[in-house]
Amino acid sequence: MKLAPPLLALLAIGACSKPADLVVYCSLDQVHSEPIIALFEKETGLHVEAHFDVERNKTVGLVNRIFAERKHPYADVFWNNETAHTIRLKRAGLTSAYSSEQTQGIPKEFRDPEHHWIGFAARARVILHQSETQEFPTLVHEIGQSPVNSVGAMAAPLTGTTLTHFAVWSTLFGRKAVLTWLKTARDSGLGITSGNADAMRRVCEKDFPWCLTDTDDAAAAQDNGFDVSVHYPGQSKEFPAVLVIPNTVCILNGAPHRAAAERFIDFVTSASVESYLAKSRSQQIPLRPGVEVPFGRPQPHIDFAMLTIDWEAVATELEALSPEFKKLFLR
Amino acid sequence: MPLARLTRITSPWWFLVLLVTLVISILPLSALFKPLFDGSSLQTLLDPRIQNLLKDTAQLSGTAAALAFLVGLPYAILVWRFQIPGAFYFKLCAPLPLLLPPLLLAQAWHGLTGWDAAWMTSFTLGLAYAPLPALLAARSLQNQSAASHEAALLAGGPRRALWEMFRTAIPGAVFGSSLVFIFTSTDFAVPDYFATVGDKFSVYAAEVFHQFRDQDWTAGARASVPLVLLGLIVLAGSMQVERKWGAPDFGTGRRAKPLRLTKKYYRIGATLLALIGALFLLLLPLSRILWETGAGGPLSDGTWLSRSAEGFSAAFNRGRADLLRSLGIGLAAGGITLVLAPFWAHKLLHSSSRKKQFILLFLSLPLLTPALGLGISAIYVFNQSSSHFFYSSIGLPILVYAGRFLPIAVFLLHERFRRNPPEQEEAATLAGVSLITRIFRYHVGPHKAAWLLAGALVLAFSVRELDLAILLPASNASAAVRYFNALHFARDNFVAAFGILMVLILFLPLMIYAAFHRARHD
Repeated sequence: MKLAPPLLALLAIGACSKPADLVVYCSLDQVHSEPIIALFEKETGLHVEAHFDVERNKTVGLVNRIFAERKHPYADVFWNNETAHTIRLKRAGLTSAYSSEQTQGIPKEFRDPEHHWIGFAARARVILHQSETQEFPTLVHEIGQSPVNSVGAMAAPLTGTTLTHFAVWSTLFGRKAVLTWLKTARDSGLGITSGNADAMRRVCEKDFPWCLTDTDDAAAAQDNGFDVSVHYPGQSKEFPAVLVIPNTVCILNGAPHRAAAERFIDFVTSASVESYLAKSRSQQIPLRPGVEVPFGRPQPHIDFAMLTIDWEAVATELEALSPEFKKLFLR
Repeated sequence: MPLARLTRITSPWWFLVLLVTLVISILPLSALFKPLFDGSSLQTLLDPRIQNLLKDTAQLSGTAAALAFLVGLPYAILVWRFQIPGAFYFKLCAPLPLLLPPLLLAQAWHGLTGWDAAWMTSFTLGLAYAPLPALLAARSLQNQSAASHEAALLAGGPRRALWEMFRTAIPGAVFGSSLVFIFTSTDFAVPDYFATVGDKFSVYAAEVFHQFRDQDWTAGARASVPLVLLGLIVLAGSMQVERKWGAPDFGTGRRAKPLRLTKKYYRIGATLLALIGALFLLLLPLSRILWETGAGGPLSDGTWLSRSAEGFSAAFNRGRADLLRSLGIGLAAGGITLVLAPFWAHKLLHSSSRKKQFILLFLSLPLLTPALGLGISAIYVFNQSSSHFFYSSIGLPILVYAGRFLPIAVFLLHERFRRNPPEQEEAATLAGVSLITRIFRYHVGPHKAAWLLAGALVLAFSVRELDLAILLPASNASAAVRYFNALHFARDNFVAAFGILMVLILFLPLMIYAAFHRARHD
């Protein structure tokens, strides 16, 4: 009989869960996404159950969970901080189409043609350098290709935006060229870190004069009081634009709360949320034309041009290249 | 009548224990069985890249386990078996590193020393988990029989007495070190961190992670088979050591008191050694973490104090609810293991060698399987229309955590139960005393501290668990998820403050209890 109380307690605890009006799986940093979700709750009166992933797992946790839950979907919305996994979910038939007047406001190059996902608030791939450093690569192509451009760092292209970056490169320049380029970079003495935030930290700690990273990591370094500056690579005649990787949001197939999910998509892709994220510590880049960027920060389309990407092709390249990159960098 | 035959008497309690264990340990794993026991998973071992990764992982984990043993065992002997100034505080320090996420310790050690490379992974994880062999050895030392100690002292002097202490503590310390090996071999974050700050190197856990990420989840499960096997070999080895070294010490009478060092130099030397141990185990990395709560770049606003206060305020406001939820889940999981573990420890005590190995495999599988695989399998099992309510409830993480960490509690108690005189239970059985009474009065009774330690370890490991926390719905709003989520984004002040808050909230009840306990005894 001594076992009865804990077992009964277990059942009682289980019975106490409060049902949600909407379940959101979110891989954007909790510190940035939580206030937006709270704002949505306040505006709509809906109770949102938000689940977060962590960057250490490179968002693999929630994506695996969506796959595992496919027969009985638990979540309604997946808010991803990049594009590749969202397209992977779409290809597996786990997303559902949605389009509205609100989502049409996002430029079409950042939306799925079949309306399965919508991009918003992006990060750019940039060179972060110590402010006193004058010598750093001005183009991504130069990284690790000469002794002077091999003294910095970049993340191994095994996960995250660096993997996406070189999948994009592959769609632009071909697989062979990218693999050759990466092999040269790997063997050049370039610092290879496991993530962009790690590369950023090492620049802050003055281990490296510069690194290839994302704008949100660069913003965190500046916000933490380090004397570092950001260079947007490209802007030349040959390479006129910068790679930006948007957040993506999609409704999951069989979402238990479809109507609430649609309201959430409209809310999160709105100009006000893009503006909020642009002003936040992560300094996301708004994709909607006309959304204000705080004074002093580079203005998209004015201070830098953005590459136009075929994201479906990128997802294909990413799956094909991932094993090759693993052979190169996971040794 | 041999005791083994007596224990075969069927008991309804046993059916219940077996049923609950099957539900918490095996049921969540059941979706993994096919890929886990698929013979093709071992074909990957022919790949030289995989062989190298496994070899490096075994070396790295072996070094960490050896370091934990070499630090933990002497620390336990010094602090628990000698009268040295501050022993009470040295004892209090011992479990603390287990409450700090290893990644936080890795960052602290790198910040303190600037060292990197693969050996720093062994160094950090060895020290982070050294409390395991230390605490397990300490439980044995606390119960060392006064008779055996005095006999050794009379027969061979202090050296022989010291050897007797080692002999008493070694089985517990070896088991603790085998756990260190398992935790190190499955750790992906700390090697990843040191590979980032220094020369690139990889471990097998990274291969498992990438298989989960790139392929379907069954590929990840298949990739984890070599790690599961490696862990089983190490656990089986530690049980062999226990059988060889853990000669029953029937010291139910007087227990050996801590030795008083008569010579001043010895006393100073022993205290200094304990202090060095405490410095490396806790005080140095904790000081660094504390410093990081207010650290900032040269252009930061405010003072160290204001930034630190801001970090603690943010940690308390944003993380409080998650911490309490983690604590609740951990306490419930610990409570379940407190009930189940004595039964299994008792079963192991009365099992043949072959049966013991089977129980070992049966209980250890959830611990040896990568958490990512266990979590996904639990989703497949429990996310059904009939069990959807339970799936979204807090009951699921409690159940899965209890099953995952149950073997730690079982093996710890088994090591203690072996020291109880078998005649006592034999007599009780003949007198018709019930199984429950025999287990909880005659076995748990003399080892209440070890029993509570087992529950506390399950609590600590449950609070720290990350992969399962991400995957199981009701555990997502947890301290581990919030902590690691912030860690990525250079929220260094918040992360350090939240780490310290985690330790304080978990450790405060123990400190208060210890202080009252001491005051009462004084």
